[in-house]
Amino acid sequence: MTWSLMDKCCDRCWHSPEYPCRHYIRCRLNGPLCHEDPECRKKRENRLREIMYGKYGFKIKVPMASCTIAAGAREVYDAVIKEVKSRGIRVDVRKTGCMGMCYIDPWIELVKEGMPAAIYANVKPEDIPKIIKEYLEGDVSGAFALRYRTGKAKGEDKVPLLEELEPWKNQVRWVSRNCGIVDPESIEEYIALGGYRGLDRALNMKPEEVIEEIRKSGLRGRGGAGFPTWLKWKIAREQPGDVKYIIMNADEGDPGAFMNRLLAESDPHRVLEGMIIAAYAIGASKGFIFVRAEKPLMAERLAKAVEQARKYGLLGENILGRGFSFDVEVILSAGAFVCGEETALIAAIEGRTSPRQRPPYPATRGLWGKPTIINNVETLAHVATIMAEGWEKFVKYGTEKTKGTKMFCVTGSVKRTGAYEVPVGTTIEKLVMEIAGGPPEGRKVKAVQIGGPSGGCIPASLLSTPIDYETLQKAGAIMGSGGIVVIDDHSCMVDVAKFFTSFTVAESCGKCFPCRIGMKILYDTLEKITNGEGTEEDIEILEELGDVIRSSSLCALGGTAPNPVLSTLRYFKDEYLAHVRDKRCPAKVCTRLVEYWINPEKCTGCGTCAKNCPANAITGEPGKKYVIDPSKCIRCGRCYITCPVGAVEKR
Amino acid sequence: MVKVYVNDKPVEVGEGAHLLDAIIKAGYSVPTLCFFKEIYREASCRMCIVELANGRLVPACAYPVSEGLKIYTDTERVRRNRRVILELILAAHRMKCQSCPRKGGYCLLLDLAKEYGVEGIPVCAECPLHESECLLTKGIPCLGPITMAGCNSPCTREGTPCIGCRGPITRKDVLEEAAKLYLKYNIDLDELYSKMKLFWNNHPKLDYIYNVIKEVIKKNTKEGSLR
Repeated sequence: MTWSLMDKCCDRCWHSPEYPCRHYIRCRLNGPLCHEDPECRKKRENRLREIMYGKYGFKIKVPMASCTIAAGAREVYDAVIKEVKSRGIRVDVRKTGCMGMCYIDPWIELVKEGMPAAIYANVKPEDIPKIIKEYLEGDVSGAFALRYRTGKAKGEDKVPLLEELEPWKNQVRWVSRNCGIVDPESIEEYIALGGYRGLDRALNMKPEEVIEEIRKSGLRGRGGAGFPTWLKWKIAREQPGDVKYIIMNADEGDPGAFMNRLLAESDPHRVLEGMIIAAYAIGASKGFIFVRAEKPLMAERLAKAVEQARKYGLLGENILGRGFSFDVEVILSAGAFVCGEETALIAAIEGRTSPRQRPPYPATRGLWGKPTIINNVETLAHVATIMAEGWEKFVKYGTEKTKGTKMFCVTGSVKRTGAYEVPVGTTIEKLVMEIAGGPPEGRKVKAVQIGGPSGGCIPASLLSTPIDYETLQKAGAIMGSGGIVVIDDHSCMVDVAKFFTSFTVAESCGKCFPCRIGMKILYDTLEKITNGEGTEEDIEILEELGDVIRSSSLCALGGTAPNPVLSTLRYFKDEYLAHVRDKRCPAKVCTRLVEYWINPEKCTGCGTCAKNCPANAITGEPGKKYVIDPSKCIRCGRCYITCPVGAVEKR
Repeated sequence: MVKVYVNDKPVEVGEGAHLLDAIIKAGYSVPTLCFFKEIYREASCRMCIVELANGRLVPACAYPVSEGLKIYTDTERVRRNRRVILELILAAHRMKCQSCPRKGGYCLLLDLAKEYGVEGIPVCAECPLHESECLLTKGIPCLGPITMAGCNSPCTREGTPCIGCRGPITRKDVLEEAAKLYLKYNIDLDELYSKMKLFWNNHPKLDYIYNVIKEVIKKNTKEGSLR
């Protein structure tokens, strides 16, 4: 067992969870503080270097988050271990979190003292021997990017630095600073990188001062609604009674949003630290982490972080000797989208279902009738960072109304899918076209869907809109949790609206009529339109029904569920009209509204289409041109998929 | 005591009361469906929504009063929302008024549908003949099952078949239900059609109604499931 940074340096150090020391956190980085001993100091400094460069001055990092594992990181990890063992290289192979650049997954990073830290992208297990061999020979020319340069390696000037890369250059990595760097399962590494300093500082202040600090930073809830965090805390703090709760909402459920998972999987201690600070500010004695069971790794890492923090006295009785006691329990949720609504989340923890009418708000009457604060994962990560770095640095970014940075997940039709952290107020164009690289060649952005199924579509003409709570609301979308789905000209907007509506129909809890029945009728009407049976009356129904569902539903799920329909109606009404008037789908997506035909110039007469046609609508002889009979065609699209030369076309 | 204004009329209610208490105290009323005092106050039907001065629509049964709150119970927006919600409720309602277990009783949905002008409930819901004998059982062609309710069924009550003077219901499930009824009692479809023509001759959906009924009768006769 090696000596860990978290352990006692010698018997003179008396910190333990039972008898916590006030200077514990500072002592880790600048210690020992209670006694002077060059021996102890050297021991600590050596350990810090070991964490930085590995035990043997050489470290290989393999990202292990759900996303990278899905891309094949586990196989890469096994290959690295095998290679290291077979060649007998003295190296520390560590697991880290995800950087947020999904398009280079799985990547590995090699760090050796005196060498530049090189990142290799899209690594396959069979590439590993070559990569390690080259790196050890001092050649980094095959790397994707370097974290820093030393000027000693071969081919160093040909490889760009990470911060010179387009997706990195425009980012401000504030909460995600440790993602991809720190080992998420090691509290030691987090502390070595300056972690828990924020908690140390917060516990030195009065709770009111902590709230004041957050007020000055202007932090607003990153979960979607943008309610000022300090105000929420203040309301809860001023409530009478000594039992208060705090809940971390890690139940991220929007399709296309994964920044909470990324943060909690790659840097769980930061999130936990924020939660302890928040608990101290409102005076909560017990916290709950409400995390999706569908994201087992995220739950596992958070549980592990809680366990480690408890082990070193950062959770439990009398934290850091400041007389504040707090403990956390991890609760697995069943994964309902409606739990994004605070009251539904509380009901789920209590063992009941469905949201209730607000007010009273949870800050005054929440879990088991006690004042409860619910904060998003990202908000809490911001809290920890603000407390560590100070609000002055935070307010440098952002707009007048919203300060700081926000993580966005850009998915859909872009070259560089990923989670990027940018200052609030960055334009959508910059995020989509510059950072994420825009759509693949030959395609054009048609719209972006912001905020998942509760958000709205913003057309390409409004891409210069700065991203902020108010501006997005004005444009008909919401910030939501920050998922951005880029839609190109190969997508039909009615179909997109239908997709998001089908999601909310499935996720509606069924308590109130407008959401339960109204959304189903909205979906049926959309289906009617995409099947070519719609009339102009149906469009009026969509508009009226959407407005009623929005204004009279019980909770925010129903209140925002018609947004995709209403926003596409607002900006793409001509597409809806083309569906109902001309019975035509401009993007050629709605299968019932397109006609398949075989281009005689391309057809080679192979007969694959005729063999695959389930309706026997394709006639012809091998070697000659085939023809589709439109009256028999059921528009299943099999010929379109199976044709080897692409002769089947839509019109 | 908290002072609130219901349609600009000041009224004082106790603290912790809900908007509904204030509205009733001020002498107004809002329709409620799911609300049941002391038992159910979950605001799921949303029929009792009222408008606040800031333009928000909130349910009167579950929203707590606060000092100086201005409540409007009957604005155009509120009425429109209630109408659409009622339409939604009726859309999911099993419209089998002919065999409703609340026979001869009082139907709140029907009253609200009348008040807000929502179509969908047939005369059969009102026809007190529920308790005695239905005209169809005697083989008399009655348009009751496919005619909009609201007249309080003066004709059928006196033994005269319904002639559809209030206009037809065009909902498919209601028509299908009626068709099964006609089939069960061997009502002649052509005779019905001539009766429909009396008032509905210029109705754009007359043929649709006829076809739906015909279709059901044809289908079930062939299979012989009802005969």
